[in-house]
Amino acid sequence: MLIEAQGLTKTYKMGAVEVNALRGVDFSIGKGEFVGVTGSSGSGKSTLLHLVGLLDDATSGSLEIGGTDISGLSDHEKTEFRLRRFGYVFQDYALVSELNAVENVYLPSLARNEDKDTAEESALKIMNTVGIGERADHLPSELSGGEQQRVAIARALINSPEIMFADEPCANLDSVNSKNVLDLFRKVNEESGQTILMVSHEEWHAEYFERIIRLHDGEIAEDKYL
Amino acid sequence: MLNDLKVSAFLAVRAIKRGGRAGFVLNILIIAMVFMNMILLSSIISGSVNLFYEQTIDYETSDVIVKPGEDKRVISSADELVNKINGIPGVRRASPHYSLGATLSNEDKSISIPVTAIKPRDETEVTKVSETVVQGNYLGSGDLDEIIIGFQVAGNEDERKDFFDSLGGAEVGDTIEVAFANGVIKDYRIKGIFQTKSWTVDLTAFVSWDEMNSVLGYDNSEASEILVKSMKGHSPEEVKYSMLTFNVPDKIQTWEESMTGIIEDSLETFDIINNISLFVSLVIAIVVIFIVMMIKAINNKKQIAILKAIGIHKNIIVNSYVIQVLLISLIGIILGLIGIEAIIAYFTAHPMEFPDGNVTPYVETAVLIENAVMLTAVSCIAGYIPARRIAGENILEAMR
Repeated sequence: MLIEAQGLTKTYKMGAVEVNALRGVDFSIGKGEFVGVTGSSGSGKSTLLHLVGLLDDATSGSLEIGGTDISGLSDHEKTEFRLRRFGYVFQDYALVSELNAVENVYLPSLARNEDKDTAEESALKIMNTVGIGERADHLPSELSGGEQQRVAIARALINSPEIMFADEPCANLDSVNSKNVLDLFRKVNEESGQTILMVSHEEWHAEYFERIIRLHDGEIAEDKYL
Repeated sequence: MLNDLKVSAFLAVRAIKRGGRAGFVLNILIIAMVFMNMILLSSIISGSVNLFYEQTIDYETSDVIVKPGEDKRVISSADELVNKINGIPGVRRASPHYSLGATLSNEDKSISIPVTAIKPRDETEVTKVSETVVQGNYLGSGDLDEIIIGFQVAGNEDERKDFFDSLGGAEVGDTIEVAFANGVIKDYRIKGIFQTKSWTVDLTAFVSWDEMNSVLGYDNSEASEILVKSMKGHSPEEVKYSMLTFNVPDKIQTWEESMTGIIEDSLETFDIINNISLFVSLVIAIVVIFIVMMIKAINNKKQIAILKAIGIHKNIIVNSYVIQVLLISLIGIILGLIGIEAIIAYFTAHPMEFPDGNVTPYVETAVLIENAVMLTAVSCIAGYIPARRIAGENILEAMR
């Protein structure tokens, strides 16, 4: 298994009040799966994605990714993990405003010690694949929401990550752009065998997923292959 | 490590190129102003110190001064010694001085000062007092019954304009009475008034050696001091060393060594003032840059979190801020340098007028480099701290 989680919990302290966002969830995800994490608002789906994506630390439980026990990793090692093995697509695109589209895409490659020209060439290739190549020189502020999300997807793909995490990537897009983005995810999953873990609250997205993990009040209410 | 720096530089250059222009220009101007402030006061102090040194050499001590040895009041056999010194390699000319305490009176005004006997022909080669005569003429070798007095000694009719006791506005051609410490009282015609702007020199009076002989009543062979001018290309230290090897008795000092006590204290005070000003400038630079970078980092909090989320190491992000500050500092310092050069050029053409003389700001290259390095270092620290703080925040909290 690529991802193995056991008894994963996350408790937030808000003053004197403790909020249990995740209550000991167990699951495993195999290589190449396209998994949708669904559930109502506050069910813990984003928290789950953040823990597995190493953007946050679990309160308790164990997590292994590709055979590595995450609890033993330092901050530096986690950053390295995110850079080399993960790709992220966020709801609000999360592009660096001072970099143009192509620079946003090849930045992770530069951080991986890749030569700038090679990195730029690869970035342009991926941008053409996701249909945003002609907007390479534009700043994020000059792109539409759909275009920005494509740039974010290209950035997530640039280092050929083992796992792609997508946190409600279509939340700010209209239905046409949402469909395009989901088609893109499916294409990536099918053609490159990329493992994708995607949070969504839209029922109709389910048709794109291979498996759905549905959360309710911080617990797995349903885990099924479609 | 090198690659991390490359990525930091990549981010820094883009942030400067595409970030807020106003903030960037403001930061550069702040650095330029701080740098000018750091240099300007020290350059004026250096200019004043240089003026003081020049005045000391030109009007008081020349390059090397021979004073009576320990437990001696005067240098004996001064003529022989002067001849001996004049024969030493590197010596251009030696000039003996003999001073006698006196009270000078002009009508109801009087002042007690030393009256110094000089050999005018030798003196013109050793000091530049002869070039500072503002009224009348300089002394001639055989001048008798004539005296030249300093500007402060002559004074003003309106005594409120005088810093010291004076002769109340004595002028060339006036006759003043001089009562010497040996009891001789003589009338002298003022032949000239000199103004060196060195207060110690402008508070003296000179008569010819022959005139002093008539006051003393014998051919004087003693000297209070002997001033020695070195030839071009020979430093005072070399001349002093030569004089020592030629067994010149008595106390030999370079002009620098002769400055003691109150002068050293004054220079130390200048240093303290300069260091305080420097410290204040650096604190201003730290505080302003810290605030500006803190605001920038807070505004970019989400961007920093995004970079961390996609796997950019914290040190790369922090270094990108430090590089931005470094670039801002370098441009600011260059701009400040241009400003300083312009100010120095202006004040070289139009020197600042102080009671002690005209001061031209003077900056040593070493001082420029030292201040530039200091300012760059504190700027980097001031940029590093806020960036480090914001980059250390939790990714998800910062992304909200």
